Amino acid sequence: MIEQNYFLTNTLLMIIGTVCIRGSFIAFASRLKITPITRELFTFIPAAILPAIFIPATFFHQGQLDLIAGKERFIVLLICLGATYFIRNTLFCVGLGLSLLYTLHALTA
Amino acid sequence: MTPLKRGFLSILPIVSGILPFGVVMGATFSEAQLPFWQALFMNVALYSGAAQLATIPLMKLKTAVFVVVGTGLIINIRFLLYSAALAPYMQKAPWWIKVFCSFTLTDQSYAAMSAHSDSFETNEDAIRFYLGSALGMFFFWHSSTLIGYVFGNIAPASLNLDYAVPLSFVALLIPSLKTNNHKLVALVSSLLSLLLYPMPLRTGLITTALISIGVAWVLIKRRKV
Repeated sequence: MIEQNYFLTNTLLMIIGTVCIRGSFIAFASRLKITPITRELFTFIPAAILPAIFIPATFFHQGQLDLIAGKERFIVLLICLGATYFIRNTLFCVGLGLSLLYTLHALTA
Repeated sequence: MTPLKRGFLSILPIVSGILPFGVVMGATFSEAQLPFWQALFMNVALYSGAAQLATIPLMKLKTAVFVVVGTGLIINIRFLLYSAALAPYMQKAPWWIKVFCSFTLTDQSYAAMSAHSDSFETNEDAIRFYLGSALGMFFFWHSSTLIGYVFGNIAPASLNLDYAVPLSFVALLIPSLKTNNHKLVALVSSLLSLLLYPMPLRTGLITTALISIGVAWVLIKRRKV
């Protein structure tokens, strides 16, 4: 059981910090001078951050780098990358990936 | 179709990734024996699944406040990049729209918007689209968390639903890889994320993102010279 005051202190501090982070650029949007280079740089944000979320979830999902146990996820990732290049549909990608992963686990079990 | 509706619909394909994540979040609240109002307060006001999942186990262990808060904020610092990317659309938006958009900024709502960025004719269209996707995310996230809190983690582990969120990010990444430079940055980010993953306090994610943005900046500058 988490003590109430301790929980609220932590949560409130995180809320304040997160609101500041989320609102930082948006709050001062009208005063920001956005150059064409900066605008172009923003188009790289998905390429910079999304692989940093899904690559560790592929290789480190058991808490450590495990290319052997994680190989099913790696195979699924490669197939989904290829398939999504042609069929740009999120639901298709998630459905295909999860079905493949389930099948591969069933085959290797 | 209105941009608001298109934004809301853009979240639907990602729901398969959001629902299991939300259910796990709700189950984590329940397992930590948090009263409903505390779980609701954290989920609504902090509204950051990754930070919540990382800090609740720390709080259960009575970890020092600065470690808990620091961990949560380091995980959330990626929102700084999203905030910067949304700022150009918000320049003439009223203050209450800015507050709402800041408050509802998540990986999914930002990714849905960036994947459709070519389709906006005006900044107002972009904001309405974003509001639609943010409202969709807000609804599905809190509904699934409630299910997890009430019923526990009902999904069998064999379905590997924890991999649905990463898969939805794969689908959202592909449309953003418009040039070879974008592909190169994605490759750099992939490799760095593996190398930097063991960094303490989960700082590998933001370090990877910042270095990758640095690489993108160098690539843009080199092309302009």
